[in-house]
Amino acid sequence: MKVEFWGQEFKVNMVVGCIGGFLIAVLSSMFGFGGGPFMVPLMTVALRLPMYIVVGSSLLAIFFNTSVSTIRHYQFGNFDLIFFLAMFPAAILGGYIAPQIAKRVSPLVVKRVAVVGLTLLALNLLGVY
Amino acid sequence: MKKRTWILPWVMAAAALLFGSNTMAADETKAAPAGDASAAPTITIDKSEISNGGVIKVTGKAPAGKPVYLEVWAEGHDVRASRFDAEPDKDTGKRPYIFYITGEMPAYYKIFVPKDLKKVIDEEKKLGNKWSYSKLLKDLGADAAYSVPAKIKIDRHQSSLMASIIGSRGPLLEAMDEKQNRGRSMQLVKARFRSIGNVFAPEIDLKPDGSFTAELTLRKGIAPGEYKIAAVVDKQTRSEVKTFENKISFPTVYLANAGTSLNLIWPFLLTLAVAIFGVLMGAGGGFIMNPLLLALFPALPHTVVAGTVTPTVLFSQGSGIFNYSKINFISWKLGCGIGAAMLLGGFIGPKLTEMITLAQFKFAFGWILLILAALMAWQTTPGYLASNKKEQAILKEFKKRAEEAAKKK
Repeated sequence: MKVEFWGQEFKVNMVVGCIGGFLIAVLSSMFGFGGGPFMVPLMTVALRLPMYIVVGSSLLAIFFNTSVSTIRHYQFGNFDLIFFLAMFPAAILGGYIAPQIAKRVSPLVVKRVAVVGLTLLALNLLGVY
Repeated sequence: MKKRTWILPWVMAAAALLFGSNTMAADETKAAPAGDASAAPTITIDKSEISNGGVIKVTGKAPAGKPVYLEVWAEGHDVRASRFDAEPDKDTGKRPYIFYITGEMPAYYKIFVPKDLKKVIDEEKKLGNKWSYSKLLKDLGADAAYSVPAKIKIDRHQSSLMASIIGSRGPLLEAMDEKQNRGRSMQLVKARFRSIGNVFAPEIDLKPDGSFTAELTLRKGIAPGEYKIAAVVDKQTRSEVKTFENKISFPTVYLANAGTSLNLIWPFLLTLAVAIFGVLMGAGGGFIMNPLLLALFPALPHTVVAGTVTPTVLFSQGSGIFNYSKINFISWKLGCGIGAAMLLGGFIGPKLTEMITLAQFKFAFGWILLILAALMAWQTTPGYLASNKKEQAILKEFKKRAEEAAKKK
């Protein structure tokens, strides 16, 4: 498939994109996360697209997945309104506060902290400690 | 020859036991009609109200020399429990792939047993996740006490690969008979309450004369409303049911779907912290939010965690898309193309969530997080940083152009 973006044309291997996207979608909707950190590498590394087309478009692709999975989770009775109302304002507030902090911290440090934190969380889930 | 003489005393002993128990049983049936009212245990509880959990003191009297069990359940609040049976059948070796689900499981259910049975419970605890509710009931002799969940309505769905692909639970099978229902309900009790400590506790102090006292500790976070308690000796002899109430007050709120009450301040603060950190590290908060919630609030079922975090993530994505679309920085063709494939995935995923157990959920999520950690670690390597710098510069340049173009309009 050919995609035009800001005056440049890219060739996209939709077979790889769709299979990869599908697998990420199943996992992300199953476990209730966004999927962005997997989609971006898929589109930049596997599809060889430049970052500037990926940032917005990957978000759009994930949005489809998240909205359907929200409906499905709701159908299956997995959605708890009060719990949601406790988390939702906090998520919005966090979205406003974060950019202000972002100017003051190095993204590299944040990423490294995240690596350590994620590994610890993973080991906790796997029952290592 | 030797063997036979060795066996003989055993056979005799067994015969003696059989006869002995026979005569005992006969005695019992004779005695029962005569002293029916006196045989039924009596109980009194020291208070009729607790506030977000607490201790209830029970005193009572039962026929001497028999174990007494206290069955406690939440009356007004039911929760869902489900179990996917894919274990091979013992006789045929075939996997049944049947999905059991009920909406009538009491939000709280626990059987308190005499203190001297602590050993039995501890023994089963050693099995870890593999403990069996029905076996433990039998070992504790508490079979007769198990009554409330035995009557819940359980739906059975015949799952198949095809049904899973189209995201359906599969066709509904005919209802089970009473005995089957009782057996399956025990598995659902385990699926719902998970750990032995949640459903059994050795708390009853039983005196030889049949009087007993027990201090029942009801944990924080249980459903509000009416609770019932009954003392049970065997199937025919149950005490009358006593009622007490659990009160909770804001900000502790009962989550109906999760079947647990929670102080709402904690999830709020947690989400705030995770959302900030999520934006900084460039990943949605869902990755950190789900495992943290599971670790910090073990009472929340993983289905509810996944099902409630997803819409929270949805809105942050929505606002992101809105911001990018304002400056026309989205390739709609590319996004919708891959989005179509992801749409299908999103249809199937939530179905799978409810088919797996918490242990499987944790295991898979653990590996996903490890992969994510590896991805992020790769993104901090010098080689990646160098190429990323160029990419980011191009990204900024294009974004600037886009913003200017949007302003001109």
